[in-house]
Amino acid sequence: MQPEKFYYDNKIVRNFGIASVIWGIIGMLVGLLIAVQLYSPGVNMHNQYTTFGRIRPLHTNAVIFAFVGNAIFMGIYYSLQRLMKARMFSDVLSKIHFWGWQLIIVSAVITLPMGFTTSHEYAELEWPIDILITIVWVVFGINMFGTIIKRRERHIYVAVWFYIATFVTIAVLHIVNSVEIPVTFWKSYMVYAGVQDALVQWWYGHNAVAFFLTTPYLGMMYYFLPKMANRPIYSYKLSILHFWALIFIYIWAGPHHLLYTTLPGWAQSLGVVFSVMLIAPSWGGMINGLLTLRGAWDKVRDDVTLKFMVVGLTAYGMATFEGPMLSLKQVNAIGHFTDWIIAHVHVGALGWNGFLTFAILYWVIPRIYKTELYSKKWASFHFWIGTLGILFYAVPMYWAGFTQGLMWKEFTPEGLLKYPNFLETTLRIIPMYIMRSVGGAMYLAGVIVMAVNLYKTAVQGKLVANEAAEAMPLEKLNPHANTERWHRRLETKPILFMVIALVVILIGTFVELMPTLTISSNIPTIASVKPYTPLELQGRDLYIREGCANCHSQTIRPFRSETERYGEYSKAGEFVYDHPFLWGSKRIGPDLQREGGKYGNSWHYNHLMDPRLMSPGSIMPEYSWLISQKLDTSTTAAKIRAMQTIGVPYPAGYDKIANQDLVKQAQGIADNLATDHIKVNSNKEIVAIIAYLQRLGTDIKANKTANN
Amino acid sequence: MKPLRLLILLLLVLGAQPVFAEDSLLSPETMNYIGYGTVIVALIVVIISMLLVLKAVKLVTAALADAADPAAATLTVEEKVARKKAVRKDKWIRLWSLKPLSEEHTLIMEGEYDGIKELDNPTPAWFMYLFYATIAFGIGYLLVYHVFKTAPLQYEEYNIEVAQAAKEKAALLAKTGAAVDEKTVKLSTDPTVLSSGKQVFVSRCSPCHGAAGQGIIGPNLTDDYWLHGNKIADIFKTIKYGINTMPSWEKLLSPKEISDVSNYVKSIHGTNPPNPKAPQGVKVTD
Repeated sequence: MQPEKFYYDNKIVRNFGIASVIWGIIGMLVGLLIAVQLYSPGVNMHNQYTTFGRIRPLHTNAVIFAFVGNAIFMGIYYSLQRLMKARMFSDVLSKIHFWGWQLIIVSAVITLPMGFTTSHEYAELEWPIDILITIVWVVFGINMFGTIIKRRERHIYVAVWFYIATFVTIAVLHIVNSVEIPVTFWKSYMVYAGVQDALVQWWYGHNAVAFFLTTPYLGMMYYFLPKMANRPIYSYKLSILHFWALIFIYIWAGPHHLLYTTLPGWAQSLGVVFSVMLIAPSWGGMINGLLTLRGAWDKVRDDVTLKFMVVGLTAYGMATFEGPMLSLKQVNAIGHFTDWIIAHVHVGALGWNGFLTFAILYWVIPRIYKTELYSKKWASFHFWIGTLGILFYAVPMYWAGFTQGLMWKEFTPEGLLKYPNFLETTLRIIPMYIMRSVGGAMYLAGVIVMAVNLYKTAVQGKLVANEAAEAMPLEKLNPHANTERWHRRLETKPILFMVIALVVILIGTFVELMPTLTISSNIPTIASVKPYTPLELQGRDLYIREGCANCHSQTIRPFRSETERYGEYSKAGEFVYDHPFLWGSKRIGPDLQREGGKYGNSWHYNHLMDPRLMSPGSIMPEYSWLISQKLDTSTTAAKIRAMQTIGVPYPAGYDKIANQDLVKQAQGIADNLATDHIKVNSNKEIVAIIAYLQRLGTDIKANKTANN
Repeated sequence: MKPLRLLILLLLVLGAQPVFAEDSLLSPETMNYIGYGTVIVALIVVIISMLLVLKAVKLVTAALADAADPAAATLTVEEKVARKKAVRKDKWIRLWSLKPLSEEHTLIMEGEYDGIKELDNPTPAWFMYLFYATIAFGIGYLLVYHVFKTAPLQYEEYNIEVAQAAKEKAALLAKTGAAVDEKTVKLSTDPTVLSSGKQVFVSRCSPCHGAAGQGIIGPNLTDDYWLHGNKIADIFKTIKYGINTMPSWEKLLSPKEISDVSNYVKSIHGTNPPNPKAPQGVKVTD
């Protein structure tokens, strides 16, 4: 039999590589901008489109889906063709995938600053973009499986197992977490509410980390590390064990984001124990990588790409050990809502995803341009400034996290909170915020040096758009004659492999989601909890638009330090009309679940106009545009109808008269503000958001005042 | 058997209702200390594990160097040391389930992927122990919290914490005498009281009532007009519980601080600061 000639598509690899670098720089710049706003709020340029709450999701989406996403596709398109000994299935699909993905990112860059958001973390994009993501992901899947099916290699290598798991799990996660009911073209409500919505979101959020930031990178590690070091993979047995254990266990761990919330106790405990059981399967990847370097450590000393790989793997090892520790409820009680978590994710993102991406770029770009890297010195500089940048980022954030977490919990001997004023704990860690932005800037500087280095490399070489290769075609095998071990046999059946992977990830999904979504005793209802009034609903949507939940949680944990500070701890039944839930994940400012009635309307008006009037030293941005902008009441009827569809008990036909109630309530607030000499037209946005803030947590709030 | 047992366990967990046990072995403080301890231990474990990886790598490199030197040992004083080292090395190698690099060629598996070969090494022994240990931890955790219920879940933890705090507060009050409240608060012109009250006023009250008490959002506190009474007990009560737009300060200020600032408010009556807010409430003359 003759070997067949074919060509690898390098141009698509190059395109994804360029996109990854460009979006990486943009995403990190936005990160730097919001980091500086945390100690200097005026850096938002007093512009709503560049204010923290709206562009923090832009930062996370840009670095996760644009920087890392494009890097994943670069790595997969390069390695898959070579592992399958075949060109990508379809050049047209490759192009649709590439341009479709960039279109998604551009639409995110436009819609997120405009405030179009579902407020589900790492899934903020609104429903039309969700549909686009689904289509592009399916295109990617067809292209990948098409390539696998027309392969000239009998067995699929461990890297491809990870790619398959990535594809199938992200598809499931994205679809389940995007079940929303459209209201207008850029506004939708989540079908799930409160506790259920929270569980779905963090099942998604945690597994976006697992199957977007981890499994594809492990797959890429399994291809690029042995290529770079020219060493065999250390243990095939370890590959099998840690692959299946990882994807099975990871999917269960989501509830560790919801410890001490109103999520049922059994679900919380499942989240804890599966997180702890994740240590070994996660470390399996690190060990297999580091031991692959056995006998090649002399190369690590000289080769900057291997240095990036080693630090990346080490960061992965640290983050995947820290994660399970943070899942223990005793540790979580201190770490949750603080900057500890920010440090944790950045060790993973900057160290693991960032450094692996850089290593792959430094390795792939010279190869597809048939040249040497322009400057090894610059690459070495990038490595050192990047590593220092991670340290300068992470260490202050750990410090800030411990400090603030402990200050929130400290009592005086008289039994009062030692730091009752939340702001005091914020001001204590401002120096850490400043140092963090320095670390981030160092890391970004390294990336810019890399971009120039890669550009110069490309210029001095010439792209081999279609790289010639040859391989023997696959012979038909008699299936009964196959005497290989079971897993080896499975490696010859990619579709069966995908189906088994799907079943494996669905087990945890069903056990955790189904009881919470279907058994009503998991969410005890409270009779006094009523749906939001139309004005409050509009105000809530403004709260979502401005991204308030990025800094303010709405869930009071059953700790004395929280009930003293914020009031009665949260009850599951309080959230039944919250589409979506707004519990948040970080307290840059205080919790707001019982904010209603705590201060007067005029306090909120002044505070939103300029937070520093009411709280000197506050780092909250000014929301002057809420005072000047008119509330859009044309959507009220559609919103009420959408809410009715998903089970919120507004009376039939209420959508037609909702705006009358809205105007009445708004006038009441405007009149009340007038008694404090604040003149504001009742049709302004600020009136709606005050209405919402004053409603928060009042359904069951004990109303203790001097009057009674 | 194992999957079956796991399944039974899962069913038990799912069926278990969060019934609160009567008592706990751990006080909230101990829990806190356990938390702090875990943080520190976790960090130390990270450092140690990194050192271990480094050491293993070093040893492997050293083993290679030794292999290159065939006639190494004659019997000297250092023999014992060398043997000890060899034993330690041996333990390391076993813990990692490593084979000398010189024997690697026997482990290379059939087939290659774009030039990448795979070795048929076993999974490292310590790795498997770690995995089994975490699984045992997981099962133990679920048993303790949901089957035997010997440790408290969150709402029970909360009740314990609050009860403990109440006990401590009562003990403190017994030692220092009753705290001030709206029934026992006394008018005072003691300068130390007023200066302490002024400090509280400047940091807490001035955003709404003005630095001189002239009134901004909140009413003028220096004129003769009062919305909620001008007696020291009235002022104390208004500050403590809040009313309408005035927030409650009960959880933010100690009883003594509320008493001091109430007295300070009494002391600034009639000071006629600049830019006074228009009178609110009823005129009260003592």
